[in-house]
Amino acid sequence: MSAGAPGARGPMLAVALLIPIFAVNALVFFWPTFNLFKMSFIRGEATGALTDETTLANWTGLFRDSFYSELLVSSVTISLVITALTLVLSYPIALYLHRARGLRRTVLLVLVISPLLTSAVVRTYGWIAILSDGGLVNSLLKALGLPAQRLIFNTQGVVLGLAEILMPYMILALLAGFGRLDARLEEAAATLGARPRQAFWRVVLPLSLPGVMLGCLLCFVLAVSSFITPKLLGGGRVFLLATEIYDQAIVTLNWPLAATLSMVVLIVFGLALALYARAARL
Amino acid sequence: MAGATSADAAGEGFLSLRGLTKRYGGFAAVDDLSLDIGKGELVAFLGPSGCGKTTSLRMIAGLIEASAGRIAVDGRDLTHVPTYERDMGMVFQSYALFPHMSVAGNLAFGLEMRKLARAEIERRVREALALVHLEALGDRKPAQLSGGQQQRVALARALVIRPSILLLDEPLSNLDAKLRDDMRAEIRDIQTRLKATTIFVTHDQMEALTMCDRVAVMNRGRLEQLGTPEDLYERPASAFVATFVGRINRIEATAEGDVVRLGGEALRAARSAHGPVELMVRPHRIEMSAGAAAPPQAQDGPRNMLSGRVARSVFAGDLQHYEVEAAGRLLSVERSTVSHEPPLRPGEAVTLSWRVADTFMFERAS
Repeated sequence: MSAGAPGARGPMLAVALLIPIFAVNALVFFWPTFNLFKMSFIRGEATGALTDETTLANWTGLFRDSFYSELLVSSVTISLVITALTLVLSYPIALYLHRARGLRRTVLLVLVISPLLTSAVVRTYGWIAILSDGGLVNSLLKALGLPAQRLIFNTQGVVLGLAEILMPYMILALLAGFGRLDARLEEAAATLGARPRQAFWRVVLPLSLPGVMLGCLLCFVLAVSSFITPKLLGGGRVFLLATEIYDQAIVTLNWPLAATLSMVVLIVFGLALALYARAARL
Repeated sequence: MAGATSADAAGEGFLSLRGLTKRYGGFAAVDDLSLDIGKGELVAFLGPSGCGKTTSLRMIAGLIEASAGRIAVDGRDLTHVPTYERDMGMVFQSYALFPHMSVAGNLAFGLEMRKLARAEIERRVREALALVHLEALGDRKPAQLSGGQQQRVALARALVIRPSILLLDEPLSNLDAKLRDDMRAEIRDIQTRLKATTIFVTHDQMEALTMCDRVAVMNRGRLEQLGTPEDLYERPASAFVATFVGRINRIEATAEGDVVRLGGEALRAARSAHGPVELMVRPHRIEMSAGAAAPPQAQDGPRNMLSGRVARSVFAGDLQHYEVEAAGRLLSVERSTVSHEPPLRPGEAVTLSWRVADTFMFERAS
C-alpha cells in the first residue's frame, strides 16, 4: 500500500505478502491468547482438573487478596528499576557504538550481541557464581578484610542479573532509535558555544529519546515477563507476576488462575504500549 | 579590501594562519598553510575534493585539532582553544539544523549558550529572521522547510551570535542551480552589509570567482595561490591554478629562456625557463583571422603568431568555440558572436595571434 506501488497490483501484492505473518500470528498468538482469556473465566478444581462452569471468581479473587495487588505493584516497580538501570548502563555504550566506524564498530557490535548466543539460564548461573556468599565478589571483600554482603537471592540480585541480561536488547534498540543523531549536530552546537555537557542535554539526549523509549518499552516488557532469572537469582524470596504464573501453572496446577494472571500481564503490556505510542508521538 | 591592506600593514591579518598542518599517519591533509585574512573580507578556499580546504576550515573552527601550526584571530592565539570558546559561526554543508527545535529555537540556541536575557534573545532572533526573509517561519520545524529555506536558517543561526568569523562549508552544494545563483547573491549581500569576515569553502570556481574578495586555491593540502579573482585568472602562480580556474590551452614544449620552438615557429612567454615546460593561453585571448595574412601588429605589446586550420566549430550562443589545428596540436579558440561575423568553417586556413603577456609558462616534470 505504499504510495509508489503502481496500479492495482500494489495493494493486492501487499495483502498477499501479509497473509503468512498474519496466519502465523493468528495460529500461535491470537488463538492461544483467546483460549487463555476464556480459561480465566473457568472454575478449576483443587486437583487441577478444569470444569465446564464459568465464573468470575478468578478475577474477583485477584482484587480480594492483597497478595496479588502487591505482586502487581512489585513486579511493575522492579521491572521499572531494571529498565532504568539497563538504560543507564547501556546508553553510553550505545552512544559510543553509534559514533564508532569501520572495523571497531563491527567488533564492538559483535561483542555487544555475543551474550545473546548464550542462554539466559547459563548467564544467570554465572551471576550466582559471581555474587553468591562464597562467590567472586565476596571472596574479594573477604580478602580485603571487608564484611561479606548479601548480593543474591534477593531483589538486588534479580535487578542486577536481569539488567545485564537485557543490556544487549537495550543497546540494539537504542542504536535503532539513534537515527537522527548526527555528529554534525554536536559540532554545530559546539560552534554556537555549547560545552559538551550542554550539547548533550540540549541536542544529543532529546534526539536520542526515540531510541530511549523503544529500548525502555522492550526491556520493560522483557523484564515483566522473565521468570527463569528471577526464580534463580531471587532464591524463592522474590515474588513477581511471571514467577507466580509459572508456579500456578506448573506447581499448583491452577491453570485458570495462571490464565487470569497472564491476562493481567497482557493488560500491563497494553498499558506500556499505549504509553509508548503516546510518548513516541510527542 | 581596505581591511586587508591595513591588516597587511600590521603584518598579520584579522585571521592569521601560520604553518597550519594536519597529518593523518604519514599523509598530510593540510600541509604548512599560512595566510592572512582581513577584517570584513570574504575569502574562498577553492580546490578539488581532497585538497584540504574543508580540513582547514574545520581546524579553524576547532572541530579537528591541528597537527602543527598556529591559528589566531585579532591577535589572540586560538590554536588550543575549544570550539565552543572560539566564537565562530559555521554553516555546514548539510546545514546541521537541530531537527527537534523550531526555526526560532535553532536561532536562539547560540544566544542561550551566551546567557543573554530572554528579551534580548527574542529581539535578535527576530532580527536574524528578517535578515534572511523568514519572518513568518519562526515556529516551523526544519523538516517543514525547503532546502533553500533551511540554508537561510543555517546562515541566520551562524550570524545571530555575531561571530568574529563566519565559516561556510560548501553551503550551496545541496541547492539546485537556480536557487544557488540567488543564494550566492544573497550571501554576498548579507556578508557585505554585516562586514562579516568570512571563509567560504567551495569546489566550484564560478562561486569562488564571482562572490569572493580573494580566493585561496588549494591542491593536495597545499596553498597554490592566494589572490583576487583577477590575479588567479590573469596571473596564475602555478600550472594547477591556471588549469583549475577557467579554461586554458596547454602546449607541451621545451623552453630555452623565454623562447619556445614549436613546429618551426618561435613562441615567447612572459617569463623564461629551461627544459620541459607547458605553455598556456586562454581560448578567448587568442585572436583569429582568416587566411595566412599576418594581422596588423597590435599596439598592446608583442604577440605570438601561429598559422593553422579550423578543425571544428561549435555554436554556443554568446560564443563560437573553435578547435584549430596549429603546429601539430589542437588549440581551443573562443570568439564572441557579438559582431554577427559569419563563423569560420572547418578546413579554413587561419592565423592565430595572442599577446606574449597572456602566454603563461610553467615547468613540467620531465
